[in-house]
Amino acid sequence: MLGYVGRRLLMAIPILFGVSIVIFITIKIIPGDPVASLLGPTGSPEARAALTERLGLNEPWPVQYVTWLGHTLTGDLGTSIARRSDVAPMVLDALMNTLILSAAAAVIAIVLGVAVGALTALRRTGILARLGNALALFSISVPQYSIGLLLIIYLAAGAGLFPVSGMYNPNGDGGFVDLFNHLILPAVTAALVPAGIIARMFRSSVLDVMSMDFVEALTSRGLSHRRVMVHAFHNTVPSLLTVAGLQIGYLLGGVIFVEAVFAWPGIGLLVYQSITQRDLPVIQAGVLVSALAFVVLNLVVDALHGLVDPRIRA
Amino acid sequence: MTATIEASPNAVPGSGAAPTTAPRRRRRMTVSARIAAGVVALIVLVAIVGPLLVGDPNAGDAARRLLPAGSAGHILGTDGQGRDVFARLIDGTRLSLLAGLVPVLFAAVVGTTLGVTAGLSGKWGHRAIMRTLDVFYAFPAVLLAIAIAAALGSGISNSIIALAVILVPPVARVAETETRRLADLDYMDAARASGASRLAIATRQVLPNVAPPVVVYCTALIGLSIVYAAGLSFLGLGVSPPTAEWGLMVSDHTQYIYTAPFLAAIPALAILVASVAFNVLGDGLRDLLDVRSEARA
Repeated sequence: MLGYVGRRLLMAIPILFGVSIVIFITIKIIPGDPVASLLGPTGSPEARAALTERLGLNEPWPVQYVTWLGHTLTGDLGTSIARRSDVAPMVLDALMNTLILSAAAAVIAIVLGVAVGALTALRRTGILARLGNALALFSISVPQYSIGLLLIIYLAAGAGLFPVSGMYNPNGDGGFVDLFNHLILPAVTAALVPAGIIARMFRSSVLDVMSMDFVEALTSRGLSHRRVMVHAFHNTVPSLLTVAGLQIGYLLGGVIFVEAVFAWPGIGLLVYQSITQRDLPVIQAGVLVSALAFVVLNLVVDALHGLVDPRIRA
Repeated sequence: MTATIEASPNAVPGSGAAPTTAPRRRRRMTVSARIAAGVVALIVLVAIVGPLLVGDPNAGDAARRLLPAGSAGHILGTDGQGRDVFARLIDGTRLSLLAGLVPVLFAAVVGTTLGVTAGLSGKWGHRAIMRTLDVFYAFPAVLLAIAIAAALGSGISNSIIALAVILVPPVARVAETETRRLADLDYMDAARASGASRLAIATRQVLPNVAPPVVVYCTALIGLSIVYAAGLSFLGLGVSPPTAEWGLMVSDHTQYIYTAPFLAAIPALAILVASVAFNVLGDGLRDLLDVRSEARA
């Protein structure tokens, strides 16, 4: 088992290397002059030259890449152009908030997805199954920003059941109840799409397993329906893990729309605000940190995979 | 992927008999899939001729802003600048559909080429292609699209490029999986033994068999792509105002969410209908494919 995890960790290194190259390339394809945007229109030619030198922008690209990578690895993510402060603490704070939102959404998505998937797989006819199928299809097709808006219109602004935006009430005590109230609507919004996908995949996975020979064998050996279902469920866990892992990763990206709509102070909102301000160091750092979180998450899913399915460890 | 495709809920044990003796081969799509196909055809038709039939989508009358739906001359009312919402919705169909469709077409061509090449190459070629694509899986896809679009600057062509980049890896994976499955079959050995060139094998033997699953997969991707494309516009990374486009309309109308909540729902509903239609059509095509592969087995 340890060897398996170790191999997975080693395999993550080239992936992370590739990620860093992709992010570096997105920095470099940006049209416009970073020096001009830092100095503003009043910068003198001497100041321009000095800043270009200080930022290392006259070095060849590979040198710039190595320098950038060195800074990144030591936790120096640069300085925000718009806010004039270090990017690293800003991004880490935002990442915490995004992880809170993603975790809540993941729980909702998995519970809802498994429930709907199991229901539609085991009862293929009837109104509930049809409703479940329609719900699964609907939720994967619906744009998150519009669902979020509709929830705001009817539940927050209209009925006043939940706060419209933000993470804490500015006049509140910042306690758990306050956080929970602010969390519900964005979490449900973010959970809808992954819930639909998990439901559809889990449905086909249950159907797969139920058509396997061992189910028939166990049944004919006289096991109760419940015992058979326990065995069957055990066999759906690996594929459920894969899908759920992928979907939680998807959440890390999809929450940007949710965060933008609900003004949730996470990576997504930070990146969204930085887009309008053309604050590129923050955008890069945000994407880099999300990718990092995503890779770590995949490692955890892989490790769990190895734990529940011994065949994979080989 | 193949596991879910082959394990059709309708699979009849023992249907491996010769196709001629198979009692009933359902080759028709379900009712819902046919309705979806109709809706897709309608959307395409509206995208082509719609803009010619409605008035100028940018003609606004400040005195007639935020009229409710059903007002005289404005079926869906007017927006915050007094522009006819129906005209903008119809006119926006073209761009919204294009912004969703073009990235998928691009990804289908590039992804299939990469996937088939990887599937037919030796160990190192296969590794080089698939490991490079793996890097893109290390990003949450939407965030990567946003980063690319933000880096290139807003504009519809940049949003199309950004979406195309993130859609290539999944299509390539589908094509590669299918190619590897085919590579073990007898007829491929026969083709190789008969001295067919690699290119001939790829285009004549592999491509016709890889195409159906890729087409099915891509049909479902169109729905996703439309939602993403509108999402990029919503974030301010797609078309620039005052162009009529669904995602931009949602973002435009959001500021009137308290005074005219129905307004933001209209373009959102259009995105939803288009996305659902392509998803249902994709499902229908997959079912159709299941039946075919069952008859072949």
